[in-house]
Amino acid sequence: MHLEVVNQVARPVEVTPIVVFHEVSKWYGNVIGINKLTLQIRAGVTGLLGPNGAGKSTLLQMATGQLRQSQGSVRVLNRQVWNNPALNRFIGLCPEQDAFYEWMTGWDFVHTCARLSGLRRGEARDAAKRTIESVGMTKNQGRAIRGYSKGMRQRIKMAQALVHNPEVLFLDEPLTGTDPLARRDLMDIIQRLAGEGKSVVVSSHVLHEVQSLTPNIVLLNHGRLVAEGHVRDIRNLIDKHPHHIVLVCDDYRKLAGRALAWDDVEGVRVLADQSALMVETRSPDDFYGRLPALSLEDGMAIKAVYSDDDNLEAVFKYLVNK
Amino acid sequence: MLFQFEGVTKTYGAVTALDNLSVKVPVGAVGLLGPNGSGKTTLIRTLLGLIPVDRGSGEVLGMDFRRRQLDIRRVVGFAPEDECLFPHMVGVEFAAYAGELVGMPAKDALQRAHEVLDYVGLGEARYRKVESYSTGMKQRLKLASAIVHDPKLLILDEPTNGMDPAGRQEVLELAKDLAHNKGMSLLFSSHLLPDVEAVCNYVVVLGSGKLLAEGLIQELKRVHDQCFEVRLKDDMAPFARRLTAMGCSTEVQDDVLRVRIPAGHSPQMLWQAASDENEQIRYLRPQRSTLEEVFLTAVEHA
Amino acid sequence: MPIFDQGYQHWSGTLSGHAWRWLAIARRGVRVGLTNRLLRVVMLVAWMPAIALAFVLCLWGLIEQKSELVAPLAQMLPFLVPDLLADPRAFRVEIWTLCFSYFMWIELYFSMVVILLVGPNLISQDLRYNALPLYFSRPLRRIDYFLGKLGVIAAFLAMVIVVPSLTAYVLGLLFSLDLSIVRDTFGLLMASIAYGLVITLSAGLLVLALSSLSRNSRYIALFWLAIWFVSSVVAATLDSANQQQQRHQAWQASHQRPGPNFGGVDYVQAEIDAAKTNWRPLVSYTGNLSRVGQEMLGTDASWEKLSQLAPPSQRAQFLFVYMGPQYPWYWSAAVLIGLFGLSACILKWSIKSLDRLK
Repeated sequence: MHLEVVNQVARPVEVTPIVVFHEVSKWYGNVIGINKLTLQIRAGVTGLLGPNGAGKSTLLQMATGQLRQSQGSVRVLNRQVWNNPALNRFIGLCPEQDAFYEWMTGWDFVHTCARLSGLRRGEARDAAKRTIESVGMTKNQGRAIRGYSKGMRQRIKMAQALVHNPEVLFLDEPLTGTDPLARRDLMDIIQRLAGEGKSVVVSSHVLHEVQSLTPNIVLLNHGRLVAEGHVRDIRNLIDKHPHHIVLVCDDYRKLAGRALAWDDVEGVRVLADQSALMVETRSPDDFYGRLPALSLEDGMAIKAVYSDDDNLEAVFKYLVNK
Repeated sequence: MLFQFEGVTKTYGAVTALDNLSVKVPVGAVGLLGPNGSGKTTLIRTLLGLIPVDRGSGEVLGMDFRRRQLDIRRVVGFAPEDECLFPHMVGVEFAAYAGELVGMPAKDALQRAHEVLDYVGLGEARYRKVESYSTGMKQRLKLASAIVHDPKLLILDEPTNGMDPAGRQEVLELAKDLAHNKGMSLLFSSHLLPDVEAVCNYVVVLGSGKLLAEGLIQELKRVHDQCFEVRLKDDMAPFARRLTAMGCSTEVQDDVLRVRIPAGHSPQMLWQAASDENEQIRYLRPQRSTLEEVFLTAVEHA
Repeated sequence: MPIFDQGYQHWSGTLSGHAWRWLAIARRGVRVGLTNRLLRVVMLVAWMPAIALAFVLCLWGLIEQKSELVAPLAQMLPFLVPDLLADPRAFRVEIWTLCFSYFMWIELYFSMVVILLVGPNLISQDLRYNALPLYFSRPLRRIDYFLGKLGVIAAFLAMVIVVPSLTAYVLGLLFSLDLSIVRDTFGLLMASIAYGLVITLSAGLLVLALSSLSRNSRYIALFWLAIWFVSSVVAATLDSANQQQQRHQAWQASHQRPGPNFGGVDYVQAEIDAAKTNWRPLVSYTGNLSRVGQEMLGTDASWEKLSQLAPPSQRAQFLFVYMGPQYPWYWSAAVLIGLFGLSACILKWSIKSLDRLK
């Protein structure tokens, strides 16, 4: 299968990359988990996507020092990750699995994690209190984890990842099983952290959630890096699939005639029931550029415009090609 | 009427799972939403006649769920949230067994099992043991086992949990096809609101055992007149400023700019602003509340 | 994208009433059980006692006919009392009863092994794989579920107890060439089958109850072994300790009371009397089952009749050695009924509380 061109995000690099993978490979016996991965992750939220078996968990484990790479180098905050426990002070991990000490209360758990990260007693207490409040678990912190619902568990997991105020956060499926209320709260927390200059890597299968969090993604497939950067830039590079743009207009047939006159338009489909057109084009930039002037012409008022394949879901589908 | 409850109350000791719940749900594809602990699971159990209720009455497909539980379960299929498959059992055997448990004769059950496995798209894999299946395949097998006896109502509890995007897409397509084209009613319980929106046309929102909202999704998502959602190519701030100068009110949310244009004007205002600002409008649609907003509003009002 | 080229078709067959649901469950359980190779081996080996039984019955048939073939045997086995050989016909029922009771005693142990291999998994596997929603979201009641699972055990125990004993009976009949045997021993056959049923119900329900308590079949298997072995060992130990104590007391008493019979018949009689109220064997589960079997098959009466052959002075000794425990059989029956009730309660409680769909 012809893999799409990997392109870096086309915007000025203001900050140094926080997580750097350089030619990293990992195999288990004969089976390869990650294949020559070179990647740089910067501050802000980055989505880590890929089908099952793509290597996302392996990547996260290598970035947090749980797995040693077979080849290449993994550096976080410009320090080597493997065999460097001191670095864990700056890394927070919210793993996918549910593995708590069920008898502990929420407070106990977060406080213990704070102490394990090296905070002193007083600091740990304050940090635990603050973090539990920020995830909204103050009311339930005295109950044993055994009695928590899934949403509460996710919040406590997030709390233990945040309590030592790390620079880099790795979140593996942080929103599974949470109801929309908890989801909104956790997403707000993630956005806030990104706003504070931290680097947050969110690995998830739920594409619309990743889309609400960030346009910057890293897409893996079969252990290789398929695409990295802003969703729109990646979409623009997928030559094989022209963009589908829908225009809603009262006189859509006349609009169709106008559209066909342009060079970059490859096809037009009439959506009569919506009083709209679906236009296929390979140069969305040019096409969108013409729209304001066109709409202001007589009788050409465009009432709505949207593209149904400009989103993360479409990009994922086109690149992973299932 | 798909099912209706009248004043149903169910308590587990000190916890009230369902609180004087009265709801009438039409046939079709129905979404069941609610925060954790809202009573969704209790509602499903009550529909299946698995638990006795303290007070109240109700019907499922015209049958009283307090008296005709076995009859109800003959016409209802249920795909639970958690893993419920035997790892060492062969896929088609499992589906046939599921049919036999409903009362199908063994031969019919096997023939029908193959039919539904064709439908869900489990090809040669059906002859392998369940332990070798991927998550997507297991979900599809679960779905197949739930429809093997051709139920009139199919209850799906978080069917896309933990599945990768391709798998999720397939399951949602199957659910949609069954509900819209094959005349099967669907009760879809999920936390993923876009999934519910993609499949269902009616939605019931529960909270703390009470009914918070119900209705057709299209009707619940109100259209806000004179309000539009806009996405641009570049930075939204200058464009927003220009609009404000023209008399509109603007608000940024996530990656979308919400604009309310003054009465009597049309979206042409926005195109004018775009032309002036030399900006590209990449997304322009009348604002409709999303299902998430409907949900959050309903829960907050409770 | 999946392409639905087959489309979905509706099904318009009829569903059977829920009374037959247990059959589907039992059938599947048997199929799964048979995949266990060890179980298949055990079931094969369980036929050997049946072959031995058939052999002995055939031999007895030949003895009854005073056939030439067995004449050399009579010389080889001098312990076969001449009275017996003179009129074998009179002792037919007794010999058949005793053969069957030995056979059942052996098959009881095979049943325990079969239940050990089949039983623990029955419900605990459903718990482990969270399959209860699969069952209870379908039109079957809890009782159908339990009957189905019990049916699995009944099927295997039938293959281990009922079918072999039936086969041995028929073979013995054929070799005796005497239809009057049927009249004499039919009751015995019925009693054997009834005994098999008792074992199935008692042990089956007990292992089902245990199986519903845990997700881990290994613990349940260990528990079952405990019920079998440990209870037997404890019963034997208590019994033996009791016996030693009694003998010691008798020895002491005889020291204080000088008399002609030091030990001897007096002592044996005392032990026999004591055995009538000895509750210690009740501790052993298999002991209870075999005591009930002893009563159902009527082995006591057979031993009494056989003891007529022994000289009077040795009769009591003979009976004491060969007869089983002498406490009232209804004590054992009560223990078994109690366990049955306990098992039923456990089942009712554990499956109700696991009625959750999660």
